[in-house]
Amino acid sequence: MTPRVSIITAPSLSTTKLIHDLGKLVRYRDLLYTLSVHRIKVRYKQSVLGGLWAILQPVSLMLMFTFIFSFVAKIPSDGAPYAIFVYTALLPWNYFSSSVSNATGSLVNHAQFVTKVYFPREILPATYVIASLFDFVVASVVLVGLMMYYGVPLTIHALYVVPIVLILTCFALAMSLFLSATQVRFRDIGVAVPLLLQLWLFATPVIYPLSSVPERFRSIYMLNPMVGVIENFRQVTLRGAEPDYSTLTLAAVVSVVLLCLSYVYFKHLESTMADII
Amino acid sequence: MVNLTFDRVSKKYKIYADPSEEQSRSSLLNKIRRRFRNHSQEFWALRDVSFTVERGEALGIIGLNGAGKSTILKLLYNITTPSKGEIRICGKLSALIEVSSGFHPELTGRENVYLNGSLLGMTRREIRNKLDSIVDFSGVGGFIDSPVKRYSSGMYLRLGFSIAAHLDPDILLLDEVLAVGDAAFQAKCIQRIAQLRKEGTTIVFVSHNLGAVESLCDRTLLIKEGQIYKSGATHEVIATYEDLLLRVSPKGRAAATESSTAAAAEIVAVKVFDSEGRNTTMFATGDAMSMQVELNVHRRIEDAVVEVYFNSVFGNLHTHFSTETGGQRLDLEPGSTIVEFSCAEITLEVAAFEVEAAIRRRGLSISDFVDRKHGAVINVGRGKPVHGVFYTPHQWRVLTGDATKHMQHE
Repeated sequence: MTPRVSIITAPSLSTTKLIHDLGKLVRYRDLLYTLSVHRIKVRYKQSVLGGLWAILQPVSLMLMFTFIFSFVAKIPSDGAPYAIFVYTALLPWNYFSSSVSNATGSLVNHAQFVTKVYFPREILPATYVIASLFDFVVASVVLVGLMMYYGVPLTIHALYVVPIVLILTCFALAMSLFLSATQVRFRDIGVAVPLLLQLWLFATPVIYPLSSVPERFRSIYMLNPMVGVIENFRQVTLRGAEPDYSTLTLAAVVSVVLLCLSYVYFKHLESTMADII
Repeated sequence: MVNLTFDRVSKKYKIYADPSEEQSRSSLLNKIRRRFRNHSQEFWALRDVSFTVERGEALGIIGLNGAGKSTILKLLYNITTPSKGEIRICGKLSALIEVSSGFHPELTGRENVYLNGSLLGMTRREIRNKLDSIVDFSGVGGFIDSPVKRYSSGMYLRLGFSIAAHLDPDILLLDEVLAVGDAAFQAKCIQRIAQLRKEGTTIVFVSHNLGAVESLCDRTLLIKEGQIYKSGATHEVIATYEDLLLRVSPKGRAAATESSTAAAAEIVAVKVFDSEGRNTTMFATGDAMSMQVELNVHRRIEDAVVEVYFNSVFGNLHTHFSTETGGQRLDLEPGSTIVEFSCAEITLEVAAFEVEAAIRRRGLSISDFVDRKHGAVINVGRGKPVHGVFYTPHQWRVLTGDATKHMQHE
């Protein structure tokens, strides 16, 4: 057996280095698994309600939004009951926002690992995305319950949830990698992210339908991958219809391109992270 | 076969002249401002360092604080990358570092072993196979399924270290942090390193502890101001380093002249024997032992003092004995001489000790110092019962009224 040769050089942007990095990530897959399980376990340890919190968070938001935007503000919901209308968006939105807000500080909060041990650093933000995905799956149970309660039929198109969630995961990962690496240099990011996510919520059709966005703003509006993701998630579950392929493709392309770019950016900063963290 | 290569490696750090700038490092505005003003200064922690380590070799790296030793370690371990040059590593490299700082207090010992083991690059299958051995090595026993927040600090450290000790690398990085746990645990770690060494593991050892470097390493690099000052056989490099140290402290200048130019005597060897006169390193508390200091005297030394030291394997002095307090006047004539120290019972605890001998003239000035040499590492095993830090020959008596009973300890 020939021993593996690893070469450490000054940071550079080359394809071979990138392939090498991806190989390392594969070798450390057990760390990704163990750390993700650890995140899920630790999050609800020593809490009375435990895993129920994964359900309580989106459900309480749903109740609050339903009260404010349906009873008080009378925001349209394309004819569907507002509770289920908002929940079909809150579910993917919560997955995205909890991924990004937890992952942003992941490197800085684990400085003791980063300065002491080598492992592919992208694993740290990625584990938060995986933990949020787990919460997403748990909270999906409520969606099924709501659909049965309101008599919304489940169609074959609901299977499109899988590729939609995959696109969402790519996008959440892209944002997590970009923000966590930038946070190492500029601690301002940690403060800015909650604000950014709040604004972002309103730039996404969560509490209002896409149909109420004026036609002339649509093309810019659609560049936000969360629009394509959330609108289509609603389409295949609540409406039981085929997804809108053009918006879904756009979201997929933007997400994958951003994921590639932020991975390269992350790996470039990674080499000197321990010096400045 | 070459296992590890440093090819003209340089490492640059940025430092900021103004400490208030440094504090506000994380603010975006300042960062942007500084981009334009460029207040940062460059600091080269390493400059054009090249060396190779052969398979199975043990390389020591010594140097003053700030010379660049830990930068080499960080680069090897890929925690940071070089600014210039290339490092080639053949095979699996791991560091024997203490990882308990990564423990999560709420998780059990077992869960933390999985977590930290995978952080160090072990697969889950590997951890599963080694778990018993890790638990055994750490000595936490039945506590393995309790949350680590209930552990004593010693258990915490030992468990962390035990994980790292089970990595089976091709190249092992060793660091000062080896000083973990009590003496018995330290002895276990030393044994583990010796075993890996025997199995042909390449070792890179960065340390201030010259005794430990001397006993472990074939070859040593002396790093000074980010460059290799000297490389070669360990004892030669250590001699150079000691000269360097003496030159750094003004007090030591006299000793430097004494030891390097006109040594009146040198210690050839320090040998340890058991009660039957066998040269050995294995003892038990309560055994008899003797130590012979072989001297080569070049010029007559009047009123010489010979001393033996028992150090921990990390170089801390445990105890020392001197002819100054314990023997008669010693005048040494030119030629070979052996000075023997002997004791009827070793009263040391169960641990490994490094023996060391020194010769000097009577007087406490550093210029009276003639020579000093490290001897073997001896292992003191379980003999007479000792549960604290030392054993002492003793008796017991029970005193009740007039009747005085005598109990002789076996």
